[in-house]
Amino acid sequence: MKPQLTAKNWFGKVSAGLILGFLLALGASGLFRTLGGVDEAFFSTRGQFSMWMMAPVWALVVSLVFLFRTSLRAWGWLALANVVLWIPIFALGGVKL
Amino acid sequence: MKLPTDLIKMYKEIHGWVGIISGLALFIAFFAGALTMFEDHIQRWASPPSALAAPPPLEKTPELVAKVLAAHPEAKEGYTVHLVTDSARPARVSWDVRPGEDDHAPPVTYYASLAPEGSLQVETKGPSPVAQFIDVLHQQVGLPFEHEVAMPIMGAIAMLYFVAIVSGLVVLLPSLVSDLFAMRLGKNVKRMWLDAHNLLGIFSLPFHIIMALTALVFAFHDQFYGAQGLAFGGAERERPAAVAQGEAPPMLTPVQMVERLRQQAPDFTPMVLDISERRDGSRNVRVGGLSERHAVRGPTMGYGAIDPVTGELTGKDYMPGHQDGWSAAVTSFFTLHFGAFGGEPIRWSYFLLGLAGAFIFYTGNLLWIESRRKRERKAGAVEQTRATRVLGALTVGVPTGTIAGIAITLAAAKPLGAGATEGLHSMIFYTVFLAFVAWAMVRGAARSGYELAFAAAIAMVAVPLSSLAFMSRHPVSIIGVDAIALLLCGGLFMAGRAAQKRAAATPRDSVWFSSRAVAEGYPA
Repeated sequence: MKPQLTAKNWFGKVSAGLILGFLLALGASGLFRTLGGVDEAFFSTRGQFSMWMMAPVWALVVSLVFLFRTSLRAWGWLALANVVLWIPIFALGGVKL
Repeated sequence: MKLPTDLIKMYKEIHGWVGIISGLALFIAFFAGALTMFEDHIQRWASPPSALAAPPPLEKTPELVAKVLAAHPEAKEGYTVHLVTDSARPARVSWDVRPGEDDHAPPVTYYASLAPEGSLQVETKGPSPVAQFIDVLHQQVGLPFEHEVAMPIMGAIAMLYFVAIVSGLVVLLPSLVSDLFAMRLGKNVKRMWLDAHNLLGIFSLPFHIIMALTALVFAFHDQFYGAQGLAFGGAERERPAAVAQGEAPPMLTPVQMVERLRQQAPDFTPMVLDISERRDGSRNVRVGGLSERHAVRGPTMGYGAIDPVTGELTGKDYMPGHQDGWSAAVTSFFTLHFGAFGGEPIRWSYFLLGLAGAFIFYTGNLLWIESRRKRERKAGAVEQTRATRVLGALTVGVPTGTIAGIAITLAAAKPLGAGATEGLHSMIFYTVFLAFVAWAMVRGAARSGYELAFAAAIAMVAVPLSSLAFMSRHPVSIIGVDAIALLLCGGLFMAGRAAQKRAAATPRDSVWFSSRAVAEGYPA
């Protein structure tokens, strides 16, 4: 039987949502910038748009992370989603560390 | 719509907790934010008549600017030519000087005019800072901290607020169709609050989603840009280096610039020209103004850059009606937060949506306290726990304290006159606010519930009274501010009466019960 959904294990889920959700939001903006050829964020309007994208992605992940039944699943699935999202950004040379 | 019961139950619990943590701060943000829809009106209402001579006509601006730059060379770094002048914009030309190196230190603004015989007048006493104070109160959700400290806390509250929206929506979804238009007035007060909370919440949902997400960006944009810069490069926030131009050709006069603008952007109404002539030889002219047909980027204005010599519109990224799609999209995010589109109907709608939002957070708190009482009863408690009592008192003290504090500090603008500072307005606000909160703590939620509503109603009357009392020094203008204060006074008075009746009629173990109200003749 599936475990019941509960808010009792909120800490593990919320921390996954805040940390991995932020990385997902950053990845979403990065993919947009990489595909759109944005080099500079602050003074280009596409760059600003990519910054704005981060808020809805992050906030939605934090809001919906409760739907995972356990904290472990939240961390696991969100980590996997991050890998899937960041691979094309790396592959396209979008990451400039 | 059918949703699993464990999911609903989980989100109900989440909604309650995020709501109770963020609700009171959001009340302050929304009440003050609703007022900022009339920031300009409030500023004109509160600003004393300027001691400067009447602004010279626009044609004489070059003479004024030349005299300002001769006497105050530092103004060359950046000065503003005001195309529209009134009590909130008392001078034709103004400029800011920062006292130190600190970018966040409040600048001193200088205002300049020409006396009738042509001599330069300079004054640092400007329009009232009270509207700006209310705006900052709104931005920092009432936190009296430094900007850098208050912003992350505001951001956390914005995040809680978004989670509250999503969770509230999930909880409401299954019964949405049957409960939506239900407004069960009557004996069951909790049911009525819940209906009001849901009805307002669902109808202002888009507004609240916008506010939560934009507030999240306003709080964390530095961090967002910073993280992007770390990961994807290009984070340097440096403007393109200016090219020094030997002997610079003369700049157009403001009249010529306005004329050139009219040719290029006929539906744009310019309000200000921000002009800078830096030591490195770079010269920039930024024009700020309004467009009837297009959304603007700032809270009050959209901006464009114009060539100082030819008057050609060069920077169109923030120019209403001249933007590309991406820029227009970003502008729409700003403008949807500020309500800076659609003119007066939208201004009033945002004002009402803001007040409704404040009401949602207030009713949310009430509902939380009531449910907790029921749970505690079931668990066998006869009396309210201390936590519930404190929260009940805060739910009364914070909203009424916010309303009264803003009213009193606004009313104080007239007697303070040109001596007003933001710090002084802040002190008045927090004194009143803390007094209300302390009163609520001492007297308990039930009794202070109506007492403080009446007190806040009286505080509201102070606004038109101060208009009347200082009429000789400060001619009455923008009567709408006084009228709204009177309306809010009436509303608070009625809320106080209702709370008084409720205090007598509710169960004795409720935080809203008051034996005093019973004794005063309000029958159960």
